[in-house]
Amino acid sequence: MDERFSGFGAFILYAITAGMMLFILAPLLLVMAASVSDSYFVTFPPQGFTLKWYAKVLQDRDFLEAMRLSILLALGTTVGSLLFGVPAAFALVRGHFVGLAAIKGFLLSPLIFPALITGLALLQVLNKLGSTDARLNLLIGHIVVTSPYVIRTVVTSLQLVDENLEDAARTLGAGRLRTFWRVTLPQIASGVAAGGLFAFMVSFDNYPVTMWLANSEYTPVPLVLMRQLVNVFDPSVPAMSTIIILMAMVGVLLLEKLVGLRRALAA
Amino acid sequence: MTTSDEAVAVLTVEAPPVARERSRWRLALPVGVLAIPMLAFLTYFFFYPALALLFSSIQTQDSRGIIGRPFTLAHYARLVNVELYARVLWTTLRISIITSALATVLAYPVALVMVKSRPMVTRVITLIVIAPLIVSVVVRGYGWQLVLQNGPKGMLNWILMTLHVVDAPVSVLYTETAVVIGSLHVFFPMMVLPLASALGKIDPNLEDAARMLGAPWWKVFLRVTLPLSMPGFVAGFTLVFSLTAGSFVIPAILGGASAVMLGNLIEQQIFVVYDWPFGAAIAVVLVGLVLAVNGVSMWLLEGRRLRRPD
Repeated sequence: MDERFSGFGAFILYAITAGMMLFILAPLLLVMAASVSDSYFVTFPPQGFTLKWYAKVLQDRDFLEAMRLSILLALGTTVGSLLFGVPAAFALVRGHFVGLAAIKGFLLSPLIFPALITGLALLQVLNKLGSTDARLNLLIGHIVVTSPYVIRTVVTSLQLVDENLEDAARTLGAGRLRTFWRVTLPQIASGVAAGGLFAFMVSFDNYPVTMWLANSEYTPVPLVLMRQLVNVFDPSVPAMSTIIILMAMVGVLLLEKLVGLRRALAA
Repeated sequence: MTTSDEAVAVLTVEAPPVARERSRWRLALPVGVLAIPMLAFLTYFFFYPALALLFSSIQTQDSRGIIGRPFTLAHYARLVNVELYARVLWTTLRISIITSALATVLAYPVALVMVKSRPMVTRVITLIVIAPLIVSVVVRGYGWQLVLQNGPKGMLNWILMTLHVVDAPVSVLYTETAVVIGSLHVFFPMMVLPLASALGKIDPNLEDAARMLGAPWWKVFLRVTLPLSMPGFVAGFTLVFSLTAGSFVIPAILGGASAVMLGNLIEQQIFVVYDWPFGAAIAVVLVGLVLAVNGVSMWLLEGRRLRRPD
């Protein structure tokens, strides 16, 4: 912190900031500590050291099945939201048509709409349609929630593309597709990747839409975790949670590498 | 193919500026078309379902579970008039407002430090603030369940008793306080990020000028920094309020029976009672609340009504 910012005021700012960092980390660190502590009930301070809860989790068929489903669902959601979202972002940045602002607002509106209600409303319509395949229903619901993230990140990176390069390629005889593939796409690649990664992570962690559309046959990870910690007593919940925390950390580091965290989230 | 196409091709080579205008004009339609799949998808799976939900909230469900006429506002009246349900509405409002207010007060210092520090410090704070955002809400709720555990074995109680702040364990879990703490943890980044972005845009010369003219640090903050950061505050407050009001997981894990929120009531009405119209009516009230707050916030931000008159 530079000298413009000193004295008593700075001390208070630092103290509160440090306190908030502790507040943010404490519950996550406690979960991780509990996952390797050798007691049936979680106690503080944690006691002993064991990896037996991890061994138990890795043999837990329900959890592994849920993991498989969640990863496949997140992959499908990523592909789906990219297929819908990238062209839409293109239209929003490059198009000149009436109602552009309104259409942009509409496409981004699932972001401000409570996700819990998005899922409930979708459930009612899918019920009426007789769509009973939970996997398909989850895929549809997750694409609704994740596509605005893709649109937002891709719009941001498209706005930074130098259109003169495209004009040059076109003048030199490249077709529209070739220009997109060889000139535009390389420039927005990190934005598209960040959008896709975002879609994956949002889908993997989603609870409020998933809770309506899953069924007893197809239950993604967040729902399994919730069931284990609310309805039944399961001492391996900290280990499951830690696995999820570590997966998220990998995602965060990838995102930071790709576009920088603040840009990815605050865009 | 045709001569006019060839003419265009010739023009492209000979007179670039004209061709460029022309190609932009020709691009306009095809580029717009690219948004159609997304529009169709969201219309069918988001917009239409939302309208259908609104529609079923004013209809009646018969004993076989079929929703139809007569139209009625009885479900809305029930939410307001039955004390049990009205209390849930107030609890939701109270928790959302307290959480957003607390987030504001605590996020200002963090955002200020984030913006004004050396790059390394900024990076570490950003990582700590943002990283948990990507960890499942269920896991974070569970973490707070462990921290707040009632009885002497919980982390909070252990700390309080070791420091002799209290003699007997306090019971925080399964209260509104626990829900506020959990929601604050989950949505804190949503307040810090817009604030940091607004603070980052303030011209440091303005603060320097105030300081050189003799203003103490708190006066510089109150008269210069705070007013100029209002857009970030409004955006952050709206986000935290909307997300807290619409939450389900945190009150389900940390609130128990004493802090039921609208989201939990809706889930109960749909999955346990099977009362779709009433569940839909609660949902519409929740959406109305969130959209109203968002509307006010957009009005404030876009109309530039946040600039101080003097």
